[in-house]
Amino acid sequence: MNIMFSGVYKIFEPDISALSNINLNIQQGEFVYIIGQTGSGKSTLLRLITRELLPSRGTVAVGDFDLRRMKSSDVPYYRRDVGLVAQDFRLIQTLTVYENIAFAMEAMSVPKKIVSERTKDVINQVGLWRRRNMRPEQLSGGEQQRVAIARALANSPSLFIADEPTGNLDFHTAVDVMKILFAINAAGVTVVMSTHNQAIVNASKKRVIELEGGKIVRDEKGGTYTI
Amino acid sequence: MTTLKYILRDTWRLIVHHWVLGLLTLITAGVMLWILGVTTLFSLNLENLLTRLESELVVQAYLVKDNTLNIEAISRKIQSLEYVYTMRTWSPSESLAKLQEKMGSQSRALEMLGDNPIPYNFEIHVHSATDVEPLVQELKAMPEIEDVVYAGMVVRRISALSRISSRVALVMFLLAVIITALVVYNTIHISLYSRREEIGIMYLVGATRSYIATPFVLEGTLLALLGAIIAAGGIVGAYFPGIQFVQSNLPFLRASLITDRGIIWRFCALLAGFGATLGWVCSYLVVMRFINAITRPE
Repeated sequence: MNIMFSGVYKIFEPDISALSNINLNIQQGEFVYIIGQTGSGKSTLLRLITRELLPSRGTVAVGDFDLRRMKSSDVPYYRRDVGLVAQDFRLIQTLTVYENIAFAMEAMSVPKKIVSERTKDVINQVGLWRRRNMRPEQLSGGEQQRVAIARALANSPSLFIADEPTGNLDFHTAVDVMKILFAINAAGVTVVMSTHNQAIVNASKKRVIELEGGKIVRDEKGGTYTI
Repeated sequence: MTTLKYILRDTWRLIVHHWVLGLLTLITAGVMLWILGVTTLFSLNLENLLTRLESELVVQAYLVKDNTLNIEAISRKIQSLEYVYTMRTWSPSESLAKLQEKMGSQSRALEMLGDNPIPYNFEIHVHSATDVEPLVQELKAMPEIEDVVYAGMVVRRISALSRISSRVALVMFLLAVIITALVVYNTIHISLYSRREEIGIMYLVGATRSYIATPFVLEGTLLALLGAIIAAGGIVGAYFPGIQFVQSNLPFLRASLITDRGIIWRFCALLAGFGATLGWVCSYLVVMRFINAITRPE
């Protein structure tokens, strides 16, 4: 899935400018880091892609969708093709690991047998089969993040959005999570990830987009973390 | 079919998760719908009684004694009045015979009157008690009418009673509907509020609004329906013994009471349907409002 931002501004009422004049183009299959200090607009940019926010001005296009003009009834169908992982995991606390993952497919009316097979696959992929009947609160931060990744993978998305997925994790766990994300990207999925993790960015030599005060100040292929 | 299974499972989860709140809603909805049902039945019985009394209300209009009067023309004129439901013309001889029959053994006293003093007269039945007064006014204004006899006080009391009973029934109905609606609305709102994060996550991973909303709407509908069924059971349990008690203590009311079991069962089915509809409408309103608010992009 391609992502295109054209002259995008995001102003929060009354007059807080979160993003201004963002122009960028992310190609299908790319792995892009969004870096910048806290408050630089990283999360706002990602939330524009997931259509949790609408631009105040400009166009955000993902694949064939113009997100600003998209009908609200089309949003769920768009989101099924976008895997989302957030720093705070966003797992449903009353459901088990298995149910959290299965539920993303059930919402799409996938038959139970397929849900069962696919859930088993993605749980194995993130190495949590033995934890499948536990609730999120019984898991460590890294394990919860892996559940969130498994849920995002369940619907085989074309685009993977990760908002500081390693933010709450120690270095070794963060590396484990990154390995999964690289594997997802290797399968042709576009990955856009915001991060503060200098070591990970520097080690992986991917495209880096740096934001500062809501503006893109650097867009570099094979870039490094230099704020 | 797959979606339905998931939705039913989620509905069950919702009910189980908030079972105490659900139980309270069920009891409140049941009590309110029971009050609504009982008030409606009381009102229907009272209406029945008043209708019967009204059907027995008669306005008797006596013509002046004048042999040149065209009785048929006057009869047509009175019949054309909007308040007249049915009318019968009594000739003097028929009237006398009726009076003699009523008086029985004392009818010989009438012979002392010599000539039959009763003029042509009309026995008029009206549509409702409220029609009596205006009809009497119109009859009195006719030069051919000498006298109009009717049960004035009874008419006024029946009219007043009828108006009061309709108003009380309406107020009770509205109160019961509003309270039931508020209780269901609140329960579903609490249910939604406690799961607001979950709803946000569901929407974020691609669940449609209807997929998210349906279990909540079903929960509200189901609680109100169960409340209505409990209320219907309570009504059936209380109504027939109540009717039996009234019939044995106030036998003159026997003919005016609704005793047909078929009618009561149909009424209960209607109450259950009403409860379910009320639950559905309230839940739908609160769910859509809530979901629209939390899924709207900023």
